[in-house]
Amino acid sequence: MTPRRPIGFVPSLLLWALALLCIAGIVHIASILMMPRVASRDAFARISAVAPVNQMTLLPATLPGAEVTPFEDPAMALGACRFDLTRGPVRIRASLPPEALLLMSFHGRYGQLFYAMTDRGASRGRLEVVLATRDQLDDIESRDSDEELPQELRLQAPTLQGFFVARALAERPSLMAEAQARITSIVCELAPKPAG
Amino acid sequence: MGIFVKTLAVALGGAALGLFATSLSVERGFMFDAVQAGPWTGWPKAGTSEADPYAKAMTARTGEMPLGPAEGLTFVAREDSAGRRLAAACDYVVSGPMPTARYWTLTVMSPTGRLIDHPTQRYGFTSAEVLRAADGDYAVTVSRHARPGNWLPVAEDATYVLVLRLYDSANSANASTLRADELPSVVAERCA
Repeated sequence: MTPRRPIGFVPSLLLWALALLCIAGIVHIASILMMPRVASRDAFARISAVAPVNQMTLLPATLPGAEVTPFEDPAMALGACRFDLTRGPVRIRASLPPEALLLMSFHGRYGQLFYAMTDRGASRGRLEVVLATRDQLDDIESRDSDEELPQELRLQAPTLQGFFVARALAERPSLMAEAQARITSIVCELAPKPAG
Repeated sequence: MGIFVKTLAVALGGAALGLFATSLSVERGFMFDAVQAGPWTGWPKAGTSEADPYAKAMTARTGEMPLGPAEGLTFVAREDSAGRRLAAACDYVVSGPMPTARYWTLTVMSPTGRLIDHPTQRYGFTSAEVLRAADGDYAVTVSRHARPGNWLPVAEDATYVLVLRLYDSANSANASTLRADELPSVVAERCA
């Protein structure tokens, strides 16, 4: 019998090491891909903790120890509306004073940003956005009249739940109350049911 | 050693190694599509559907809400323009070119994106309030001691980063082409 052990031992150790690395790679990639779904303190969870459903909420001022989410600009008044389209489309309305910076972004349940704009995107100082699912959008479009173009911006949300974030700049700290008023003047609600 | 024990050891070891790599990359903020310009690092795609899986994992873990490309750009500096880590013992002057934007703000934050308590309650400057020279130039001095002009205070012994935000910026679409000489410099003055 030829001695098997010295020849077979090294390749088998190598194979085991290779298997270990393969498993490590698979676990690493899988955990990175799963992170947005399993993270318990993501932006949606943080917003949910302070904002009721389908209602615009002024978030606490960004001050030491009072931050709702990290990396927020303390010069911004911050507001959010956590939306849920289960009971129908959600409508967001804002009147925008000229030359006052307002940032608006729309996020899905897992934080994915699906639309963002500034106050410059509004026409004649007024903004109306309707958030809806694909089916709800089809329903809305079927009611559109041929003569009249829709006045609102329609967005298809990637998930039933998600959140809308508005940030209003206070050019200097003394203007923070004014910036907060611009946030609280935004209306977020279930869209009224169409007649008929 | 039985084959069963070996298999179990390899499976557990592999899983542990994989999770370790994940936590390391998420905590360190390792992302593929970072934009580097001088001391500043930006992630213009963070939070969007185009973000790479590492960026998505990291924003989910930290809970932050990155700006969309249409809203603006965020840059973080952990080091000065000479490549040295920002130290509470040093004064830094932030000045120089600023990309076209409707507004910019410069903020001092902890490395995890929290504000650091300071008695002056001054945590940043906006482009609208910053004091400027007659020619429109600005200079912000980051220091733990009171300084004339635009004094951005930092707490004693604080580890901090500088955060530059460009709102409604024309550069949002082509942020990856920003060069170091198009963003402000962060220059250490006196260290004591």
